[in-house]
Amino acid sequence: MEAPPVSVMPVTGGTINMMEYLLQGSVLDQALESLLHRLRGLCDNMEPELFADHELVYLLKGQQGNPFLLRARRSLSHPTAPWHLRYLGQPEVGDKSRHALVRNCVDVAASHSLPDFLNEMGFRMDHEFVAKGHIFRRGALKVVVSKLSRVLVPGNTDNTEPLSLSSLVELSVLAPAGQDTMSEEMRSFAEQLKPLVHLEKIDPKRHM
Amino acid sequence: YKLLHNWNSLLNTQREEKLLEGSVESLISRVAHLKNALHSFIYKLENEYERLTWPSVLDNFALLSGQLNTINKVLRNEKTPSFRQQVIIPLLLSPDRDEDLAKLTEQRVPVFSHEIVPDHLRTKPDPEVEEQEKQLSAEAARIGPEVAQKQIQTLNKLCSNLLEKLNNPRDDRDADSAALRLNKPSFNPADTNALVAAVGFGKGLSKCRPPGPVAPGHPGQGPMMSGGPTLQQVTISGGSGQLQGMGPGAPQQQGQPGKMPTNIKTNIKAASSMHPYNR
Repeated sequence: MEAPPVSVMPVTGGTINMMEYLLQGSVLDQALESLLHRLRGLCDNMEPELFADHELVYLLKGQQGNPFLLRARRSLSHPTAPWHLRYLGQPEVGDKSRHALVRNCVDVAASHSLPDFLNEMGFRMDHEFVAKGHIFRRGALKVVVSKLSRVLVPGNTDNTEPLSLSSLVELSVLAPAGQDTMSEEMRSFAEQLKPLVHLEKIDPKRHM
Repeated sequence: YKLLHNWNSLLNTQREEKLLEGSVESLISRVAHLKNALHSFIYKLENEYERLTWPSVLDNFALLSGQLNTINKVLRNEKTPSFRQQVIIPLLLSPDRDEDLAKLTEQRVPVFSHEIVPDHLRTKPDPEVEEQEKQLSAEAARIGPEVAQKQIQTLNKLCSNLLEKLNNPRDDRDADSAALRLNKPSFNPADTNALVAAVGFGKGLSKCRPPGPVAPGHPGQGPMMSGGPTLQQVTISGGSGQLQGMGPGAPQQQGQPGKMPTNIKTNIKAASSMHPYNR
């Protein structure tokens, strides 16, 4: 995807040129406890945060080819917290010297009227899911272990069904463009989680 | 007869002397070997430490230890006369430098004077060692045999406990990790791909065109768009929402597995032409 339409880029705030470095993997439910245990040991000394989020993915179809995609997230456990709107750029996976997937990333907090607003703009919701799990941190690194569920009745987050017998494990870090030392750090951290979980640079397009 | 006896004892003494000389010579040559090995090892450590590998260091140690062992064996051999019974007496002490001696000892001992002779001909341990030994024996004499016995028992107990602790957890750990490695895979690559595809572009998630809570009625746009493709249709045409078909290699749609790309194009075109915000 090319640069997002200018109207969607935040004009103020220093988050414009941030890149997200990402490694992904999964862990089977029966090994989840061991992984959490290991993460507790490896990550910063704090109790891992629990979260339960509802993510709605919106599409805007422009004239040329690719639809434009925005992700809206709200917390189910903190209903009064602001919504979270996220734009993710096209992943760069080709560079072999880089150990992580890199993509443009814009995060904005939004009010509760975000879905209405997006609809008015012409966005349409494409799909939604519920993610519940733990967040760990180690310095700038963020590890999210989450169980994904599909929403059976649109909009009703009480009625969900687990997507698989595994939890998604994502190791990510936000950094200004060009800080490739980050990926080195991520790789060494991912190395420490083996053989429990293999975090890899996965091109989502490969699995379309 | 007396003469014969004397002659005999003289012969004996001569034989013993010869034996002693021979064993001293062989000892000297072995010590020289040891010295050479030590010398080359030290040289290597000091000058070639950058290229020195651990196995070659171990080889050097093995060589030294072998040579020391041979010397010990020679000393313990029954044929070797006991050096303990030989007495060395310094016959001449001189404060002057002795070139022959210096040459003989590789410049280590240039003078054979009253100052260094006690050190070099010493047969007892060093004074400090002697002092320590004295203290230890005094300590040993002070505590009674019962107390000593108790201490021995305590020490033995501690040691065996420690050994047990060192041995057992290793077994546990080995068994644990082995079980983890062999029997229970902790992750499933197919699940990884399925989950990544799901968060990436909603593969396997039921496509939804919410009539309800999220977009509660926007007339004018809703109906127009309702026929448009979802991202899922764009990416995997006709995603069934079933997880079973999500294996990495499995074809996603039952109907027309090969026609995916053409579907995408037409769908996108259809969508963009219908879009309310034409640019």
